[in-house]
Amino acid sequence: MAQLKQVNLYQFARRARLDTPLWAISSYGIALLYALMIIIPLYFLVVSAFKDNISIFIDPLGLPAKISFQNFTRAFEQGGLLSALTISIIITVCAEVLTLALAFPAAYAVARIRTRMAPVVEAIFALGFLIPALAILMPVFLTAIRLDLLYNPLMLVIFYPATLLSLTVLLLSSQLREVPKEMEESAVMDGATHLDLIRFVFLPMARPAVLTSVLLNFLSLWNEYLFALVLLNANNKTIQIAVTMLKGERTVDYGLIAAGVIISMIPIYLVFLFSQEKIMQGMFAGAVKE
Amino acid sequence: MGLPQLCPMTSQELIKEEKPLTSKEGALRRSYFKIQRARSRAAFILLVLPAILWFVGLMLWPLANMFYLSFFRWDGLLDPKIFVSLGNYTRMFNDEHFWHGVANTAIYLAVDMPLVLLPGFVLGFFLSQRPPGSRLLRVIFFAPSMLSVAAVSMMFVGIYLPDGILNTLLHQVGLAQLEHVWLADADTALGAVIAIDIWGSIGFYSILFYASLSNISQELFEAARLDGANLWDLVWRIAFPLSKDFFGVAMVLNFVWIMYGSAQNVLILTKGGPGDHSLTLGYYLYNQAFMGYRLGYSQAIAVFAFTIGLLGILLIRRITRRSEV
Repeated sequence: MAQLKQVNLYQFARRARLDTPLWAISSYGIALLYALMIIIPLYFLVVSAFKDNISIFIDPLGLPAKISFQNFTRAFEQGGLLSALTISIIITVCAEVLTLALAFPAAYAVARIRTRMAPVVEAIFALGFLIPALAILMPVFLTAIRLDLLYNPLMLVIFYPATLLSLTVLLLSSQLREVPKEMEESAVMDGATHLDLIRFVFLPMARPAVLTSVLLNFLSLWNEYLFALVLLNANNKTIQIAVTMLKGERTVDYGLIAAGVIISMIPIYLVFLFSQEKIMQGMFAGAVKE
Repeated sequence: MGLPQLCPMTSQELIKEEKPLTSKEGALRRSYFKIQRARSRAAFILLVLPAILWFVGLMLWPLANMFYLSFFRWDGLLDPKIFVSLGNYTRMFNDEHFWHGVANTAIYLAVDMPLVLLPGFVLGFFLSQRPPGSRLLRVIFFAPSMLSVAAVSMMFVGIYLPDGILNTLLHQVGLAQLEHVWLADADTALGAVIAIDIWGSIGFYSILFYASLSNISQELFEAARLDGANLWDLVWRIAFPLSKDFFGVAMVLNFVWIMYGSAQNVLILTKGGPGDHSLTLGYYLYNQAFMGYRLGYSQAIAVFAFTIGLLGILLIRRITRRSEV
């Protein structure tokens, strides 16, 4: 058995191109150690959600003696998670649609219409990567007051797309550039306008980039904390704000918090399950282009 | 003859043109192209305008406002705005809380960047060799990046509590003397916040580096190995120099996140306390704007953070840009 294991490790090392077994073991060791460091807190979170507060801290890593969904029902009842989820979903969906509606025509124009203005427009959008959200938090707060949209979720629907435009236009336009010229020409011969072109040629051709931007934007929209905190109030808080409010001033009801955090994560992990590679590639592409 | 057709010439058609144009035909064609150009310019503007308006109105205009407001004393929304020229800046440079914020941010950068990027790079290299099990490891490494700041912070609340899992585990392995009230102890508060950041970020950057290193041809490594290079050489003598450019990109991302994004962790977990021990520049900006209601002053801090951020980005890009380019 030991013999077998050694041979296997050697094969691992060869296949993994990791030199000698020593290197293989140490690199696997580091990778597994880090994997454990990620898994343990997540595991602790999940088991805590099904326990009461006494057993959480007596036996933090043990499995719950009997599974109780009490923390989840309490999170919905006391934390108002249902209305928070609803508001988050509405804001996310509306902002996604608005972002695409703004970004796609712009990306099309930048990528496919040859004018001297195109590089200028691209440069303007590239500035977005240099503007930190925190720096404009206060001015945007003042804008919300001026528009009479403070504490109104509509303000977030309007504001979020502005922060997402830079990356979305960039991702879309780089894919739109690769659409072969012939496809466009034959449509133009048939008398297609720019809007026809967008609808029937470029939108279908750019589907992968659209999907990537929708996924990345979904992540940022769903997880956004700072602007939701400042621009909304207790009556229409998003899920991220609701989760942090599960912590009391003096006492910590960790079972309740854990249940809330898990509820807030479910949509993200559902999406992640089906599109993990896509999200990773998208983030990489976004990083390279910045 | 008028305009022969209303659609633009395709390149093939132009090449196919055999007989030379008469001057009349040439003029017609030129005016045709002029109309086309004017039309496409109009179309361009119409298509780009909504996005540009949005972007300028909600990103660039607020940024301009940040500079503008920093010259006013404005202590509360209902108070009058008083022009104080550089008053907020002199006040800022004499504010000890501000300097605590600068110092803590410097510590944050000095600890977080190497502890995230170097392990991230090594793990990214490991993944890029696609060893058995690397698919699963990729999923695990990336998992924290999907979580929101709020979710991660709240998760760590239970880990750092006085009777939380960290102290319980330390107690169980007989290291009770190491127990702390992690988030409320002056010695550990900043470190505890930084540790949360490092926890998730290593995985995120390992995935980015994995994607970037996957583009390097494996034959390069094979050749180097034939010349007797070991794993250490492969990572630091071949992979690292080749991806220096991308390493710079990752450094910028990490730097920007620490400068601004980390304010959220501090806000949720420690509010800068105890004392100023975990007060970062980004958090102090938030604190002055929304808890102290010193609106004008907070924007002076914002201008400072923004400037340092820009300089930092330029510096990192300068250092890491490939010399031959």
